[in-house]
Amino acid sequence: MTRYLLGQALSFVVTLWVVLTLVFVGMRALPGDAATILGGMDASAEQIAAMRERMGLAGSWGVQYAGFLGDVVRGDLGDSLRERRPVTSVLLDRLPVTLALASLAFVISLVLGLGLGLLAGLRPGGVIDRFTTFYATAALALPEFWFGFLLILLFAVNLGWFPVLGLPPTGLSWQASWHLLLPAVTLAIPRSAQVARLTRALVLEQRRADYVRTARSKGVTGRGVARHIASNALPGVLPLLALELGGLLTGTIVVEQVFGLPGLGATILGAIAARDYPVVQGVTVLAVVVYVGVNWLADLLQLAFDPRLRTA
Amino acid sequence: MEKAWLYPRSRARRVWRSVVLIVAAALVGGASAQTLTMAMAAQPDTLDPQVTSATAAFQVAKSIYDTLVEVDQSGEIVPALAASYEVGADSLSYTFHLVEATFHDGTTLDAADVVATIDRMRDPATASPKASEYAAITSVEALDDRTVRVNLSQPAPALLATLASGWGAILPSEKLASGHDFGNQPVGTGPFSFVSWQRDNAVRLAANPDYYKGAPQVSEVVIRFVPDSAVQLQGLMTGEFHVIDTVASADVDLIESNPNLELVRDPSGLALVAALNTRRPHLADPRVRQALNLAVDSQTVLDIAYGGGTPIGAFMEAGSPWLPDSVQPFPYDPEAARALLAEAGWDGSVTLDMALPQPYENHIQAGQMIQDYLREVGVNAEIRIVEWGVWLSDVYGGVHDFDITVIGHTGKLDPTGRLDGYGTEATNYPGFDDAEVAQWLLDGAKETDVEARRELYANVLTRLHDGAPFIYIGTPNRTHARAANLQGFWITPMLDSFDFRTARFE
Repeated sequence: MTRYLLGQALSFVVTLWVVLTLVFVGMRALPGDAATILGGMDASAEQIAAMRERMGLAGSWGVQYAGFLGDVVRGDLGDSLRERRPVTSVLLDRLPVTLALASLAFVISLVLGLGLGLLAGLRPGGVIDRFTTFYATAALALPEFWFGFLLILLFAVNLGWFPVLGLPPTGLSWQASWHLLLPAVTLAIPRSAQVARLTRALVLEQRRADYVRTARSKGVTGRGVARHIASNALPGVLPLLALELGGLLTGTIVVEQVFGLPGLGATILGAIAARDYPVVQGVTVLAVVVYVGVNWLADLLQLAFDPRLRTA
Repeated sequence: MEKAWLYPRSRARRVWRSVVLIVAAALVGGASAQTLTMAMAAQPDTLDPQVTSATAAFQVAKSIYDTLVEVDQSGEIVPALAASYEVGADSLSYTFHLVEATFHDGTTLDAADVVATIDRMRDPATASPKASEYAAITSVEALDDRTVRVNLSQPAPALLATLASGWGAILPSEKLASGHDFGNQPVGTGPFSFVSWQRDNAVRLAANPDYYKGAPQVSEVVIRFVPDSAVQLQGLMTGEFHVIDTVASADVDLIESNPNLELVRDPSGLALVAALNTRRPHLADPRVRQALNLAVDSQTVLDIAYGGGTPIGAFMEAGSPWLPDSVQPFPYDPEAARALLAEAGWDGSVTLDMALPQPYENHIQAGQMIQDYLREVGVNAEIRIVEWGVWLSDVYGGVHDFDITVIGHTGKLDPTGRLDGYGTEATNYPGFDDAEVAQWLLDGAKETDVEARRELYANVLTRLHDGAPFIYIGTPNRTHARAANLQGFWITPMLDSFDFRTARFE
């Protein structure tokens, strides 16, 4: 177990370092920096040079890179060049919106995906099965933002049931969950389709397993068999769920744009446009940590669900 | 992003929209109307007026801070925190007499605040993008509690315009001394005090009951950041917003036909141009550049790409008192353009590189129209879409990687703001180089006699017309829309700041 944990930790560090280096180089390879953009069309060349100095962008890439890695090791993400405040407070401002949206989307995709998958798998060829197959194909074939626009057009513009705009001006609150429902459904549609497909396949596989035949021959029927099938099939969905949970954080970028939500997606797009390197780097660190963390959690959960894996 | 398909403008939809509007108006009416909600497309980068050059920052900051002098609705500079001022001997100083006002943190405005504010602006550590406008100041001193003198190294007729602009905001000295974070927690003497700011969402402001010019009539102002004009309009129609700052030209009819909405059109301070890179050999001949001006129907470009406006013939907004009558827009005359190109020996072998800034859809559309007009006279141009940061660093600045680029230059209260640097190749992006223009500009920056100054700038603008480092497009109308029952809201001429001080619902 110690060996396993050490391996995981090492691979986390390496992943983080590689991704951060890519982001560091990629951002600086883009023409223009925060001083040029903040200076706009009015600042003179001298003014921009002075701003660059103040922002700590005047040194060579090597010096900046060393300084940046050192800060990350110390747990310091630096200050936003545009907002002139710590990146951690920028992230803490934005994270709740994205987390609320992602968790709502996750719950919806879980309920919808598992429900449809189970029902479809238990009665292959039935109405629900045929609907699930159609739904899964359509949901995966069409881009996410298309559903977003469709939902806005139907429910916000035409029916007026939902506000067109992201959040109320007061920010995140319980009332805001109403605002978050359409974007969450948009995010959940393709994800629930994947969950449904996998769940259906796993259930179908279990149906053919020996223990089901044995149980049936011993007189276990209907609900009883279904319970056995479900408890054996569901752990197989966990790795996919972990992938999706990790992917939701980046998946929100497009959907936040469509719905005008002030979350991490809007932050990273704004930060790239403004060449606010520390913020882009900070969001990246967060994304890597969440992604790796969630996958790790899924591994552990799978161990808990499936005793056979523990000896391995 | 083009989302017009979301809003098909059928008759049925219009009827439906007015039903929604009536219901919404019924729900919104009454006491809750004390909150004024505005939607704006851009958003501030910071609310510290000394470290930004973004119009959006000053548009919001206007309600939080005050300046020594300010611009009234006719564009004149009038007293504000300075009840009066005197110009000293040889125009080498300004003395300001302050009004009685208090900051939102309860401290009283005094001369020390003005001194600390201007000193911070001049401090290289602040690295303000506007610092060069303060270059003529040698020192700022408090003569007594309510009197401040600004000493100058040379006459600076543009200084009042600087002090009236958003970056001239006066900050409390106590908080300046303690290194307060004005960018995220602004404190001023303005008509509204800061409540909260969630980026990409909203700024909330509360009326300042102690405002030195009298408390505002609305109790709260909420400014929401809504980049999409279709969403802005939707919010205006449902009553979610009372003012929107972006109106797509396609939506003008819809707003004008709605009795509950008001469309407000006034001239902006913008000078729209297609800059020509005069460093490029094929654009070095002024006759070629004049020919390109003759080839473009600027009125049509203004009407289609910018929703209407007035053509200009030099690098100054239409209607500016600095534009001499002798400088008129180039006529649209493709025949003359072809003749002039032939005279200059244009053989059509060069394809011009037209760099257009993303995400400015109207500049991109204007560029496409100009491309068509140029093709008519035998000049080929290829369009290249450039992201804004890249545009600033490589097209506008840096290596000036373009033959033609379309952009709007924002309004300035004083001509130096617009023309500074346009006589020397290295300090302007079309690379216009003219020693006489450079000298006139230097003289103009310190000339205190209004008539003599006007003549200097008239010379400059005449030269910029003849030398044609730009295809001059024009000054577009500035359009915003508001609920018909909202009165007294206005947008500052040239500076485009939002003024909620006299806004009220009727």
